[in-house]
Amino acid sequence: MGRVLPAVLALVVGTGLLAGCSSDPEGPTTSPPAPGKLRVLAGSELADLQPVLDRAARDTGVKVEFTFTGTIEGAEALARGDADKAYDAVWFSSNRYPQALPDAARRLGNQTKIMSSPVVLGLAKSKAGSLGWAGKPVTWTDIAKAAEAKRFSYGMTDPSASNSGFSALVGVASALAGTGAAVNADQVKTVTPELKKFFAAQSMSAGSSGWLSDAYQRRAAGTDPGQKIDGLVNYESVLLSLNASGKLPEPLTLIYPTDGVVTADYPLTLLSNASDHARNDHQRLGDFLKAPDVQREIMALTHRRPGQPGVALAAEFGTQPMVELPFPATQEAFDALLSAYFDQIRKPSRTVYVLDVSGSMNDDDRIGSLRTALVGLTGASDDLVGRYRRFHGREEVTFIPFNGAPQAPRSFTVPETDPKAELERIKSTVTGLEASGGTAIYDSLERAYQVIASQPAEDRFTSIVLMTDGANTSGTGYDDFQRAQAGRSPQLRGVPVFPVLFGEGDQTEMEGLAAQTGGKVFDARKAGLQQVFREIRGYQ
Amino acid sequence: MKRQVSVGLAVVLLAAVVVIIISSGDDDAQPGQSLTTVRGVGGSEKAAFFADPRVVDVFARHGLRVAYDAAGSRQIATTVDLTPYDFAFPSSSPAAERIKADRKVGQVYTPFSSPMAVATFAPIADLLAAQGVVKPGPEGRQVFDIAAYLDLAAKGTRWDQLPGNTAYPARKNILVTTTDPRDSNSAAMYLALVSYVANGNSPVASPEAEARVLPAVSKLFLDQGYTQSSSEGPFEDYLATGMGKTPLVMIYESQYLDRQARADGSITPQMRLIYPAPTVYSTHTLVPLKGEGDRVGKLLGDDPDLVRLAAEFGFRPYQHPQVFQQVATARKLTVPADVGEAVNPPSYETLERLLEAVGKQYR
Repeated sequence: MGRVLPAVLALVVGTGLLAGCSSDPEGPTTSPPAPGKLRVLAGSELADLQPVLDRAARDTGVKVEFTFTGTIEGAEALARGDADKAYDAVWFSSNRYPQALPDAARRLGNQTKIMSSPVVLGLAKSKAGSLGWAGKPVTWTDIAKAAEAKRFSYGMTDPSASNSGFSALVGVASALAGTGAAVNADQVKTVTPELKKFFAAQSMSAGSSGWLSDAYQRRAAGTDPGQKIDGLVNYESVLLSLNASGKLPEPLTLIYPTDGVVTADYPLTLLSNASDHARNDHQRLGDFLKAPDVQREIMALTHRRPGQPGVALAAEFGTQPMVELPFPATQEAFDALLSAYFDQIRKPSRTVYVLDVSGSMNDDDRIGSLRTALVGLTGASDDLVGRYRRFHGREEVTFIPFNGAPQAPRSFTVPETDPKAELERIKSTVTGLEASGGTAIYDSLERAYQVIASQPAEDRFTSIVLMTDGANTSGTGYDDFQRAQAGRSPQLRGVPVFPVLFGEGDQTEMEGLAAQTGGKVFDARKAGLQQVFREIRGYQ
Repeated sequence: MKRQVSVGLAVVLLAAVVVIIISSGDDDAQPGQSLTTVRGVGGSEKAAFFADPRVVDVFARHGLRVAYDAAGSRQIATTVDLTPYDFAFPSSSPAAERIKADRKVGQVYTPFSSPMAVATFAPIADLLAAQGVVKPGPEGRQVFDIAAYLDLAAKGTRWDQLPGNTAYPARKNILVTTTDPRDSNSAAMYLALVSYVANGNSPVASPEAEARVLPAVSKLFLDQGYTQSSSEGPFEDYLATGMGKTPLVMIYESQYLDRQARADGSITPQMRLIYPAPTVYSTHTLVPLKGEGDRVGKLLGDDPDLVRLAAEFGFRPYQHPQVFQQVATARKLTVPADVGEAVNPPSYETLERLLEAVGKQYR
């Protein structure tokens, strides 16, 4: 999702399609419609189909041009009528979300399901064994019980950023509600205590499935300072791919809860106003992809199950019967679940923002962009994605503005209910940021570690965002940071730093910081601070 | 500058492809005669029929190329912009009535129909037989007793609560999977059916009756949560992922027969097609809107090749019921000539009000 999110966010936040069609090489890939070309707005995980799509282009003459986005962003772009001007088709892991937005639903046309993958729990083999779950029937209630007792830990993607997290949240809610029916908005409250148990064991979040599984693998292999975790809640295909990669010290055992799973079914969906040639191309591509030999190729390549009846399953999928959980049907229900997840259910975050307010931030009004980006996280953006990326209930947010030296940290705790007043205080703090003076990056970063060390909080997702637009000009340097990092307690060493590349920031050092802390670099030079700050929220 | 060049190139390419399409069309039709494109929109269960090369060939012989878009029948009657279309082909008479009235169309065509049926699996049928929901019916066939099913569903019974159920101990309600009642015709037909039975075996025809049946029939939809907008969706799930996801699915008989006839392994020995008692017929009704739409309607009912092909896709030709039986016999399929009692759907207005009332309760 990372690479192209900015492009679609540009559509979503209403800067409009024209901005999206600029000649900016990093911009969206939407090009003029043409026969033999299908412009598809898609989930980023479909990048793994490229070899099959290359063959499709050779065999059918239909070339797929992907623009990647998240499910919620994509659905919102559809509902606004932006997507059907720029694309011929959409291809997400499922149409459940767009179908719940009436304005998006009516823009969906012919669809054909290409493949499927359920969201399941993968646990390191020894852990699954010690829990007594290998080869035994396990329910989500069993899993929630063990999670509450912290008998294992797991990572999961942010449900507002990635479909695997979204499906997991909804599925677990339906299963734990135990009513046998889909959860509706009114029932979310009832199931919240049960969900808290399950999410007590979540110890890593990520904005994309790909990054999550990479981070899991790095931590398992010991090449990432982050604390090792026992498993992942993710698509079966992602877990099987990890096992097949040969990079894990021990394979994951896949747990298929007997009370049910939520399955992604990847419908290749024509937009209802698509041109005649796009219709033709959609039909030809769909027919090609559903041919039995191509289905087998997809299965081998991506570890997803075939969508064509009669194509036999490979052995790696096992023979467990899989029950599909009922899925809510309305945006109201999704919204109630997501809001409860962020404000009440998941472990709260502690987020330290180390923010460069040196003199160069006055260039091109960078300081203005910074203020806007941070104000955007206080609930000022009323689009769907913006709402789910704001500072959440129970979250601790600390700002350390710096120039020649770190300024005094300013901390806020967002209350679980009625967060408005505190969010207003955050807003007035960030609106008051002024730029002048030098750049003491590493002294300021150290200050962030001091803040975190002074108030240990085990049950929080703790992370540091470092935004700087230039090179270090005063105080300690990168080498000093490396030495300090080596001497930190394991807990502090595992706090991820998310450096934001901006202006003339030093890319090599920023990448080094991310690598040494288990973080990830975000590039705001083209995408802008607002989009990047939102995206980082998925990892916090 | 660069962009303009590529747009220009695209226009040239587009022109080139149009030329190719037209000239390749010439090869199929009589030499020198180009095909007229007729655009239609209708239920997804007829999309495979229109896409079939043999069907394409017959239309080409008549100088036509049919471009068919799938959409839910209710969507066609309400939200779909019909301007670009030459015909609408909803899967029920109530939806057709509405379009006919809205667009002031005179003649409509009903070339074929399909009874609604329940696709399931042998272990599920056995479980439900023990509950009296699946019963022996005429000619040694089993039937799906709607009244008994409504009793079970009213209690919110889950699969794992059925005594001695080891075959499918799922912790979810016993519910027939349908499409979205807000969009799709097969869900509307199902509603016609269950409202009739819930109303003491009589068509709902008064506001009092509507209010009386609503709680019970709403639950059948709402408890499912997300449902798909077109009938091919849940049937594809039934075929591709099986019992876990879709133990019972309400479909058009034609969908199942079509798959059986293909003999491509998609219908496995465990699969069962059971007719509900009573059932309801979906009357596929073509509403001509402009241009050559009217000829498509006529040809579907009159052209012997199209009638036979429709029967091969599992549809029951309205004026030629014998063709349906001939095709079935030739393919060694056992298809009942008589599927038992069928109810009449309520009036369009009543059905709309019921669907509307169910739709409003989604939360």
